[in-house]
Amino acid sequence: MQLELIDLTKRYGDFVALDHLNITFTAGIYGILGANGAGKSTMMNLLTDNISRSNGKILYDGTDILKLGKDFRKILGYMPQQQGFYEHMTAQTFLYYMADLKGIPKRQAAQEIDDLLDATNLSDVRHKKLGGYSGGMKQRVLLAQALLGDPKVVILDEPTAGLDPKERIRIRNFISAMSRNRIILLATHIVSDIESISDQILMMKKGQMVGMGTPGELIESVADKVKEMSCSPEELDRVQEQYKVGNIFQRHGETWVRIIGDNLSTEGQYVEDHLSLEDVYLYYLGE
Amino acid sequence: MAEWKRIFRNRRLCAGLLVILLLNGFLFLREQKAQDYGIDGTIPAFSFSLNIGEGGYEVAQETVDSMDGYNRYLQWLEDYKDLPLAESLPKLEKEKERLTTILQIYEMLENDSEMFLSDSLEQYRAEQPELVQQIENGELDLYEVHLDYAAVNHLLKQVQYLDGYDDYLNTIRANKDKMLSFSIFNDPDSFSGRNIILTAEEFQALEGISLTLGADGAISAFMDFAITDYLLLAVLMLICISFLDERKKGLWSVVHAAPNGRLRLALQRTGILLGVSAISVLLLCGSNLLLGFSVYGGMDDLGRAVQSVELLGKMPLVCSVGQFLLMYLLFKIGATFLVALLLWLIFTAINNVKYTIMAAASVLVVEYSLYSFLPVQSGLNLLKYFNIFTYISLSDLYTNYLNIDLFGYPVGIRAVSQYACLPLILLLAVVCIIIHCRKRPAAGKDLLGWFVYGINHIVDRFLRRFHLLGMEFHKTLSIQKGVVILLLFLYLLSGLSFTVTIPVTDQTDAAARQYTSELAGAITDDTFRRIDEIQTELDNTLAAYEQALLKYESGEMEYPQYDVYAREAEAARIKSTGLSVVRQRAEELRSLGDEKGFAPWLIEESPYKGTYGNEARVNQQSAALVAMLTVVLLLAGSFAYETQSGMTYLLASTQRGRKTLLRRKVGMAAILTTIVWAVTYGLEFHAFLGVCDTGTFTASVQNLSMLENFPIQCSIAVFLVGLYLFRWLALFTCAMLTMLISSFMKRMETAYIATCGVILLPSVLYLYLDLEPLKYLSLALLVEAMPVLIDLSSKGISIFIVLILLLALAILSGCVLRRKTKAAT
Repeated sequence: MQLELIDLTKRYGDFVALDHLNITFTAGIYGILGANGAGKSTMMNLLTDNISRSNGKILYDGTDILKLGKDFRKILGYMPQQQGFYEHMTAQTFLYYMADLKGIPKRQAAQEIDDLLDATNLSDVRHKKLGGYSGGMKQRVLLAQALLGDPKVVILDEPTAGLDPKERIRIRNFISAMSRNRIILLATHIVSDIESISDQILMMKKGQMVGMGTPGELIESVADKVKEMSCSPEELDRVQEQYKVGNIFQRHGETWVRIIGDNLSTEGQYVEDHLSLEDVYLYYLGE
Repeated sequence: MAEWKRIFRNRRLCAGLLVILLLNGFLFLREQKAQDYGIDGTIPAFSFSLNIGEGGYEVAQETVDSMDGYNRYLQWLEDYKDLPLAESLPKLEKEKERLTTILQIYEMLENDSEMFLSDSLEQYRAEQPELVQQIENGELDLYEVHLDYAAVNHLLKQVQYLDGYDDYLNTIRANKDKMLSFSIFNDPDSFSGRNIILTAEEFQALEGISLTLGADGAISAFMDFAITDYLLLAVLMLICISFLDERKKGLWSVVHAAPNGRLRLALQRTGILLGVSAISVLLLCGSNLLLGFSVYGGMDDLGRAVQSVELLGKMPLVCSVGQFLLMYLLFKIGATFLVALLLWLIFTAINNVKYTIMAAASVLVVEYSLYSFLPVQSGLNLLKYFNIFTYISLSDLYTNYLNIDLFGYPVGIRAVSQYACLPLILLLAVVCIIIHCRKRPAAGKDLLGWFVYGINHIVDRFLRRFHLLGMEFHKTLSIQKGVVILLLFLYLLSGLSFTVTIPVTDQTDAAARQYTSELAGAITDDTFRRIDEIQTELDNTLAAYEQALLKYESGEMEYPQYDVYAREAEAARIKSTGLSVVRQRAEELRSLGDEKGFAPWLIEESPYKGTYGNEARVNQQSAALVAMLTVVLLLAGSFAYETQSGMTYLLASTQRGRKTLLRRKVGMAAILTTIVWAVTYGLEFHAFLGVCDTGTFTASVQNLSMLENFPIQCSIAVFLVGLYLFRWLALFTCAMLTMLISSFMKRMETAYIATCGVILLPSVLYLYLDLEPLKYLSLALLVEAMPVLIDLSSKGISIFIVLILLLALAILSGCVLRRKTKAAT
């Protein structure tokens, strides 16, 4: 099972949203990190054939997904970023409808829907109209529909947005548990979600891939790029202008900043432990 | 001011208000035209003619253009309005008599062949030689006489009312004395006794009032036009619903927690309701009044006693027309404000927005039912008159005089409603403000929640069995409220008629129709033999008359006996003319059949003309527009709903979310179109079968005069099948275009507006405002089908061109839709 993006490009007039992207995905969870406008959603829309590509190919097991058409969409699960819903439908009806759209037989759909509603903790409110759901509940319904039909390629755009920590952990574990023999692409701003479950992390900036690796590899790659230094409140503005600044915190009555970059100040001390993906994010994607 | 700005910056609300204002003006003018500007333009027919024909044919009555008639009335009014009523009345009666005589002479001259009329005509010649001479010489324009007749008739009725008003007052006074003298009513402490006394006392104020003649059309139309009342209610609903915005958008807690979010906001909203009530009354009622004045000839004298207007004659109030209008408008503003406060009260009292609207709708339905359907004599009539609709339909208070029984005492509805208005306003305003301030956003418990959840549970059990097509129906009929549209469709359909009776133009026409019915069937030698036989019988009757004439002239026969022969002979002569028309038609058809190769049939065509012909154009237009409106409203949301719900990308990412879903949507459109088509045209065909002999269905369609140039040789039955299929195709094309437009729209509202604008508006403007250039954009013409088929047949253009165009349009729409659903952006 392999999904290849070859020279994938998307232009909107002069604006290049995705710039000659070349990636190969195999089974596993891929976390996609990038600021707004980095090209994450464009990539996902190209993968779901919701927008036309300007150049390049997307191959699934060697065949272009456009050629596969319906057959590719049969193995695709997609959870969009925007919470689009039929607000007048109940969760159950909505899931049955989506199951029908995915061509899942009724009997199989019934079992899957029950399981997914349990997994997403929505069984008790399955007959409530979606319009009355909170943001987090809607998010869970969207996730449930994406997982209907045992898809081989799952595209999740901000799946944990709006969820409380308990729900986030629950959903995260659920995604992790079902990742075997699937390609799961997970775009999010919540770095901790990716950190704990992703096999590979893809860093995107201005339509290009600027880094890719396992969380450990990426953290390792910034091992000598993070420092913590104390600075007076008067100097804070200057430091923020000069370096990419992570956390600003108080320690022993002094103001400390965590700075990230290649040419760091001689002051302060390198952080060797407790490096995180936030540091990676700022190093690769911070302005 | 911030709340004013928030509400009136809502473009949809402003567009809604503008539409209501324009709709009000349009409907007002349309209503005046429909009511013939109050003029009875029918010209009386005098029964000089013989009763020919056994089919009970309706005779066409001449009418004058009602606007012309009204303008002529204004001219007559100008001459008479300064005359005392006692002088006007006999003059007008004499004038009406003169005009009636002229019309009678005209009719006699038109029927001068009728021998039995000759005596009457000679009498007129002797009595009024100049008049008869003038008519015979064509010095009098018949249409002008008709206009004068309609105008004088209208003016005379008005003068008769004014002249009889004192008698009306005297009758009330006399009734009081007379009724109290009966023992059963002689109890002054009973409701009846008190009511009689109160009525007489109230009308006593009008003793000696001087009523004068004037153009009352504007005031009558203004008071009579009830639609404005309901449009005002719609305005209030829109404004009150806009107060719910904060709840819909989850901002109620924020607003309630803000320093100015309680009392100050409540006061502002009270002010807004008052302002909107005043402005909307002035705009809607004011525009009615101004349109009325422009249509009915100026303001005239507003200083006249208000009872001079017949519609207001039952109002025991001494004031001028101008004073009344001022008082009415002020009261209307107050009443509108009161209704607005009541709506706001319902809206603020319930936390859940959905239940709020349901509650308001339920209250209005219950109140309207009580107001409209409770009998006046009912013991519960308090509920009928102390009702929100009393304040909505305010004009009823002034055009009717009614006291109801309140614990044995008669209470005047008008007076009570007027006096109660201000206290009720104050009370409701205070209650609304208190509720607004004290109602806590988080305090409401969803009492119906468990019930709704249970209902959803049951519905879900059904819906889980539905496949894509079923779900498309669910979305359209349930979620997008298509069921309401279908109910509206059935309601509109129930008001339509599908056939018209084509009146006979004269006696000859009646005879021709009767013979056509008798001889209907394939035209053979036998047909002509039968015609000859009938002709012989008629000739015999004429011969008998010749004999009788000789006898009468020689004194062997008395006049009454001779008169019978004369009438029979006259009837025979007319029948003979009618028969010759039938013979001529039969010959025409035979030669046309030989020429074009179809079997000639004699068919009584009036059922066909009355259902499918130009004579039934209005019916066909209405049916087509109702069917189109239903299809458009049902399907306008089909794609816009997906976009508005944000589902487009998600649907397109699924296996069956593109072509399959599109096919299901088209399938649903086809089924809904078929239902609308079947109901509409099923009713039409049913009505047609009620008047038509189905035996003629096997005849060639070219035997019908309106389709004699129809290029395809087929029977009437086949033609009708083709006609209805053509209509289905045209309606289905409308459905496809609707879905196409819907696919370009991001919101349901814009989809409804755009589809109605593109598909319906050109048809409406062409059909109702005669805007000829829009003929080629009028899809209703294609749904009507008959005008197109007749028009093309007469021009020798193949109907297949239209058929192919329709098909192409439907297929093209489908292709564009397919392309659009292929790539979601």
